[in-house]
Amino acid sequence: MGRRRKKRSHSEVELNLAAMLDMAFQLLCFFILTFKPAPIEGQVSLRLPPPQVAVVVKGGQQAGSDETNKNPVTGVNTLTISVFADPKNGQIASLGVGETQVPGIVALDGKLKEVFADPGNPFDQVIIQVSDACRYDELMKIVEICTKQVLQDGKKLSKLSFVEVPSG
Amino acid sequence: MSGSVSSNVKAEPNLTPILDMVFQLITFFMLVINFKSAEMDLSLKLPVVGSARPVDSKGQKELLVLNIDDVGTLKIYNRPVANIDGYIQQEAQASRLAARLTPEDIEAGEELPTTIVIRADRATPFKMLNRVIKACQDNGFRKFALKAINKEA
Repeated sequence: MGRRRKKRSHSEVELNLAAMLDMAFQLLCFFILTFKPAPIEGQVSLRLPPPQVAVVVKGGQQAGSDETNKNPVTGVNTLTISVFADPKNGQIASLGVGETQVPGIVALDGKLKEVFADPGNPFDQVIIQVSDACRYDELMKIVEICTKQVLQDGKKLSKLSFVEVPSG
Repeated sequence: MSGSVSSNVKAEPNLTPILDMVFQLITFFMLVINFKSAEMDLSLKLPVVGSARPVDSKGQKELLVLNIDDVGTLKIYNRPVANIDGYIQQEAQASRLAARLTPEDIEAGEELPTTIVIRADRATPFKMLNRVIKACQDNGFRKFALKAINKEA
């Protein structure tokens, strides 16, 4: 028995690791060369239907038939925001909500909060009229403010449409 | 004499630790590799939007990534696309066939399941951006994701 054990201990099997190491290094080189860390990006998810002004018709009521309705936007469920940009640099020059001028982005946020906080507001979508020279980052400021607004059903506003307005 | 002695002594380095280390490195790179970044134009400067949410790919079956540079050139896999309408139409057709929809369904108001991911440079004029958005809308795409970064790097 002792002899047999001695014989076994002498016959060691040695694997040749050099070939495996070569292959491993090749794989490593491939991964190092193709490695490009993806940037950390976020996104604003939207539903963008083609721009169409939608009018709510209550129980077959004809538009304009309600004489007690003094508000011209009552019955219309699309809110229009106008964004006019400086054609030279693409920065926002003036803003408007419906027919009302808004002095700046902070004021726009306040105005929209006021509109959407009204329990009787009929709006569930927004059309943004944007001048063609407006920069994308300026537009995204408006989109960000719009997507923060909460609708009557508790959901966040995500239904936006864009309309291009020629500048100048 | 001395020569014969030295030929009997083999100096073999122990390769096991280096192999272990190399395999660990390979595992690391395999885990962090992202082939999807090939479709992104990393030279674009995305706008900064504080409320931009990290990408949630749950429920989004198909994505079509459109890169638009600061002069309005549409780039797919870093190649400029000259015929924007033609390309979008082609993608819409592929998406329609995958969703088993007919052109009549699209005209009737059905929407394509593909989400359009727009990666536009922050200096892109709206005119150029709207050209791409309009082409997508005309072909039945309704779901959009506008890419942005949370804060300036």
